Amino acid sequence: MHLFIEQLLNGIAMGSIYALVTLGLALVYGILRILHVAHAAIYTVGAYVGLAVFKFTGSLWLGFGGAMVFCSVLGVAIERLVYYPLLKYPPYVPLIGSIAVMLGIEELCRLVAGPYILTFPARLPFAAVHLGSVTISSTLMAVYAITALVLAVLWYITSRTEMGLAMRATSQDMAIADAMGINSHQVVSATFVLGSSIAAVAGVLVGIYYNQVYPTMGAVPAYKTLALIVVGGMGSVPGAVIASLLLGVAETLLIGYAQIPLPRDALAFIAMIAVLMWRSEGLLGSK
Amino acid sequence: MRRSLIYLLVSVMVVALVSAPAAAGGKVKIGLLAPLTGFAAADGLSVRNSVQLAVERINKKGGVLGKKVQLVVYDDRADAKEAVALARKLIQQDRVAAVVGGSYSTPSRAVAPIFQDEEIPFVAAYAVHPDITRAGNYCFRNGFLGMVEGKSAGYVAVKLLGAKRIALLTSDNDFGRTLAAGFKKYVSEKAPGTKIVFAKTYPFKEKDFKPYLSKIKELKPDLLFASGYYFQTGPIVNQAREMGLKVTILGEEGADSPKFLEIAGKAAEGFVLVTNLNRDDPRPEVKQFLKEYESRFKIQPDMVGASAYDAFMLICNAIEKAGSVAGPKIRKALAATRDYNGLTGTLKGFTDEGEVIKEVQVQIVKDGRFRHFGVVTDLELITP
Repeated sequence: MHLFIEQLLNGIAMGSIYALVTLGLALVYGILRILHVAHAAIYTVGAYVGLAVFKFTGSLWLGFGGAMVFCSVLGVAIERLVYYPLLKYPPYVPLIGSIAVMLGIEELCRLVAGPYILTFPARLPFAAVHLGSVTISSTLMAVYAITALVLAVLWYITSRTEMGLAMRATSQDMAIADAMGINSHQVVSATFVLGSSIAAVAGVLVGIYYNQVYPTMGAVPAYKTLALIVVGGMGSVPGAVIASLLLGVAETLLIGYAQIPLPRDALAFIAMIAVLMWRSEGLLGSK
Repeated sequence: MRRSLIYLLVSVMVVALVSAPAAAGGKVKIGLLAPLTGFAAADGLSVRNSVQLAVERINKKGGVLGKKVQLVVYDDRADAKEAVALARKLIQQDRVAAVVGGSYSTPSRAVAPIFQDEEIPFVAAYAVHPDITRAGNYCFRNGFLGMVEGKSAGYVAVKLLGAKRIALLTSDNDFGRTLAAGFKKYVSEKAPGTKIVFAKTYPFKEKDFKPYLSKIKELKPDLLFASGYYFQTGPIVNQAREMGLKVTILGEEGADSPKFLEIAGKAAEGFVLVTNLNRDDPRPEVKQFLKEYESRFKIQPDMVGASAYDAFMLICNAIEKAGSVAGPKIRKALAATRDYNGLTGTLKGFTDEGEVIKEVQVQIVKDGRFRHFGVVTDLELITP
């Protein structure tokens, strides 16, 4: 039984990380209806900036903050310089642009920081907890705590503030929202700020969790998050979170219990195909 | 008339190009393929630094055959497609006399047949796959064959560490699987009292090993053999200790990198591995290399670098002995190498297949450094 609990805890941590990376993608899709692949590159940049600030100042909190600020600026820059001018074209045009931005940023990270795996030597301010034979390590707790905090703040912003209302209005119909006196372009930028700072948090967190920061760390999230927003329901933020958590737990249990040599990454796409076949609107999407 | 003149000119140029020997311009050109970027970049850097030291040392002594040695380095990104194109470039454009294979198994086994066809001696520094030397008699290996190292790891687990219940966690590629196969072979044939209680492979890009480690933790083995590279074994060791898994962890040369120590951090203490570089080797040339490398590059030297250094020096040694830069003559001299004093131990010689025979070193991590733990000298185990 304790093995099952431990696997479940591992799976929830994995799912939390997926959720943090996927959130920004779901937010952006919800409002602009474009697949923001470059989001995974913002996550990589977040890890690097967080590491640099942490090394320079010695403070992990400043590392998180610095990464969030830098990535917000980067996210808005991508939105203004790449997506906005391309919005009048069919959706595959901004998608291609996004892929180009993703590859460009990845190479830039390699050129600036070198092709090597850097380590993230942060000490977390709490110790591992032992409950019987189940151990909850400090990094696991950090993942839970930070994910819960991010989700709570996001829930508050989207459902309890005027900005959240404007975001929902803009995502339903940008033209009508404009006519109602909402500055939709500002709302779009705010969405990018929100999504990109969550990606920055995810980048730093993953850097600490695996003690590794490297230029291609966004490669797997870049395609896995696409599967996750399809499963969750395109543009549905709660759907993306639920899909992420389910996938994290399913992957972990699959490795822990099943004897089939199915690679972990295949599962997300099997789920995506199943969803497309039987429930094309996704778990929480609307038709 | 004009046309035939052009033909003549072109053919003269082609002949001149084709016949330009590797020693053109008073230099001997030697090629090096290494993964300078991509996932294996830390290994590539170590290889390049080490061979650079070797080149400087050789040239300070006057080079080979009275000529300076010129190194031609290309980045194969540990990728087979990339490596094949670069191998052709080394042959056709650079016209190298011989090549040091400073990369992983996958690219090395792709380029070995190309060098074989062109009769250019190719010495794989540390890649473990049997296909590399099977390409033919121009292909040699200075590192251990995967099976040899795997069996030696089995010996270390059973005889030196006294393991009775063993868990295997293997990287799902040529390298990890070959080592695990050698390990299992030893345990099933030579150690009837030892049981393998867990054996799983993980995908190459895996970062989260907790699901495997939770399962291992429950089975309570007394040894975990992790076969993979530093960017895999490092996180395994780190995550295992974080989860409170106290089992002895044994690794192999893939973890022999300062990056392993960095990624695993404090969790690396007590980690044992089989490799070919003994950091506490008393021989002065080894001591000098280890000291010079660390003071110059500000990072600890490792087995991939030392192996590439040896591969390069073996080639220079063979050229000197052959008295020529012609491929067939270098090959013959290489094959005849006996009792060569290398950084990675005394090379007893090459087998007919081009496989090296030398002792397997066992190291343990103490205070953030690899230190001497033991050595596998049993000829039956270390002869391929």
